[in-house]
Amino acid sequence: MDVALKIWRYDPESGERALKRYEVEAPEWACLLDVLDIVKDQVDGTLAYRKSCRMMICGSCGMRMDGRAILACKERMKPIVDRGHVPVISAMGNMPIVKDLAVDMGPFWQKIRAMKPWIEPGYEEYPEGGEFRHSQEQMNPIHKEALCIMCGCCVSECNSMEADPDFLGPAALAKGFRFVGDPRDQAKVERLELYNSEHGIWDCTRCYFCNERCPKGVDPRDAIAKLGAESIKEGIDRDMGAKHAKWFVRSAVTTGWLRETELVPKTQGLVSAIKETKFALSLAKRGKVPPPFPPHVADKQHEARMLRDLIATQGRDGALGHVQGERALSRIEHAVMADPDHAGRRRDAPEITPGEAPVNRDIGEQP
Amino acid sequence: MRVAYYKGCLASLSAKELDTSTQALAPMLGLELEELDAVTCCGAGDIHEAEPDYYLHLNARILAYAQATGADTLMTICNVCTLNLRQANHMLQNDAALLARVSENLEKVGAPPYSGGVEVRHFLWMVADDFYDQLKLVAHKGLKGLKVAPFYGCQILRPSKLMGFEDPDRPWSLEAIIDACGGEAIDYPAKIKCCGFPIIQAREETALGELIQPIEQAMEAGADAMVTPCPLCHLSLDAWQQKLEASTGKAFRMPILHLSQLIGVAAGLEKSELRFRRHVVSMEPVLAKLEGPS
Ligand code: SF4
Ligand code: SF4
Ligand code: FES
Repeated sequence: MDVALKIWRYDPESGERALKRYEVEAPEWACLLDVLDIVKDQVDGTLAYRKSCRMMICGSCGMRMDGRAILACKERMKPIVDRGHVPVISAMGNMPIVKDLAVDMGPFWQKIRAMKPWIEPGYEEYPEGGEFRHSQEQMNPIHKEALCIMCGCCVSECNSMEADPDFLGPAALAKGFRFVGDPRDQAKVERLELYNSEHGIWDCTRCYFCNERCPKGVDPRDAIAKLGAESIKEGIDRDMGAKHAKWFVRSAVTTGWLRETELVPKTQGLVSAIKETKFALSLAKRGKVPPPFPPHVADKQHEARMLRDLIATQGRDGALGHVQGERALSRIEHAVMADPDHAGRRRDAPEITPGEAPVNRDIGEQP
Repeated sequence: MRVAYYKGCLASLSAKELDTSTQALAPMLGLELEELDAVTCCGAGDIHEAEPDYYLHLNARILAYAQATGADTLMTICNVCTLNLRQANHMLQNDAALLARVSENLEKVGAPPYSGGVEVRHFLWMVADDFYDQLKLVAHKGLKGLKVAPFYGCQILRPSKLMGFEDPDRPWSLEAIIDACGGEAIDYPAKIKCCGFPIIQAREETALGELIQPIEQAMEAGADAMVTPCPLCHLSLDAWQQKLEASTGKAFRMPILHLSQLIGVAAGLEKSELRFRRHVVSMEPVLAKLEGPS
């Protein structure tokens, strides 16, 4: 088949960026990585990108296709060619570009190392008495996190990291839960303290780009939620993010609905909240600060309170509350992919790529 | 079409204008809303993070009360409610043992049981899909080519395996609605990104670094206003805009519409239903443009 691609080239010596078009002949089974290999072999040997395994396990070939972070060895080209689409290939985001499609993963590895990615068994010498055994059930909580191949696709589009480059980010935090949830590890509390730092779990804005992009189903955002649940269970709740989250629980138990006006002082503390008075007044003028009294109480609110007491005795607290739903969530088909006939739901819309103006679509054709 | 209606916390409190405009619009579109009185907050992602088992039960309870109305659809008007409820619903519908435990717990505290019989859908999807032809009739006053920047926000697009309505990277539903209402949809890259709301109190600086992208891009693309299907995005875009102005020295003054207000203007809803006076950024320039010569 004839494949056409546009690639954002970057030359570090001149600092020039250019979008170049390539057309090559490739076998029908080719993935994006195969096509890049053909381009490099037959058209331009200076094209730079990373690869190793060619089978979605080494994590080297992360890059963007039409603005989405993907693994080049996972994307089949035939359906794209059949649609007559010419994809735009560029380097991943949130990492400096070294050349063309290769990014500097240095900051990525630094954050992984900051998680102390090794097991702390709690003993120096291997104790007498033979082996330790762990059941599948004990390992289930970290099943998904252990799938990570450290490709960086999640980091590429992390919205919090764009605004705060020091944010530990989805890959590192997923790695963090891989150890916090490991039954062999004895350093859980120390780890949670570490991951509750200023640029830790409460810096995540829940944009869900990481879950959307991860090619291995790690769902880093869910791993961060597990770390949050374990932190609060262990009483590590000094961060404003943790206080904010706890206030929602408190609201549900007392009135059923969010006690919105008290949220700021409960999160930031009274002193900071008072500093915000001017801002608060501007909102109050517009009815955006509803008076806390009389509270807005849901009908049969006591049921919500009783539920919390009841489930407290059922052993699904902390991260287990997430783990119990994972099997069900893994059963969902990607509805977007499963419905190729629905015009608006296909992943073949024009690209948005950094550096290129977005194309306005013809809305007339939409359903 | 009769649906159970879950308005969530914000539309009951600081974003009442979203509720009144939705309620006024519903009969015009042919939607009968059955409001749920006994339900609580969905947890807004915060209870999901703090106490996930409790999150699942609170959401199951909302789904159970929706199912008890006999409706097969639970309609939401907030992105965060949509994700929280759909996620819980998927967990329950795809795991019989989990559903049995949760439903039994609901009955123990006196709530109705849940059997997985409700589908959670956002107002945006219903208008863009089921009621699109009706929308064209309802929006008779039009928007005189008003340039509107659609802002989707995160949790109505991602994770797409839970949402599944449209391409999370190139969504079309808001554009289609703007088009049917007689406005012109503006395209800009940050329309699918985060408004920063979840961390706006705990990490204001990071949140503002996110918030500035859509507002600045919409302004540069020449938008007269932005529209969003989420009251949390609305609060962030509308109320925190003044903080962006203070920190950047730029005057954005970008009017922010709830989806139901955008349609409401085109449908000729009353001022008392649209309630623009409840916004922080004035809607006057938009209204002046709509009242001016076409
Ligand atoms: S979590 Fe997924 S996307 Fe992120 S580095 Fe690991 S495998 Fe790649
Ligand atoms: S959900 Fe959190 S960690 Fe994941 S991409 Fe968004 S901000 Fe980053
Ligand atoms: S080349 Fe190893 S993951 Fe793609």
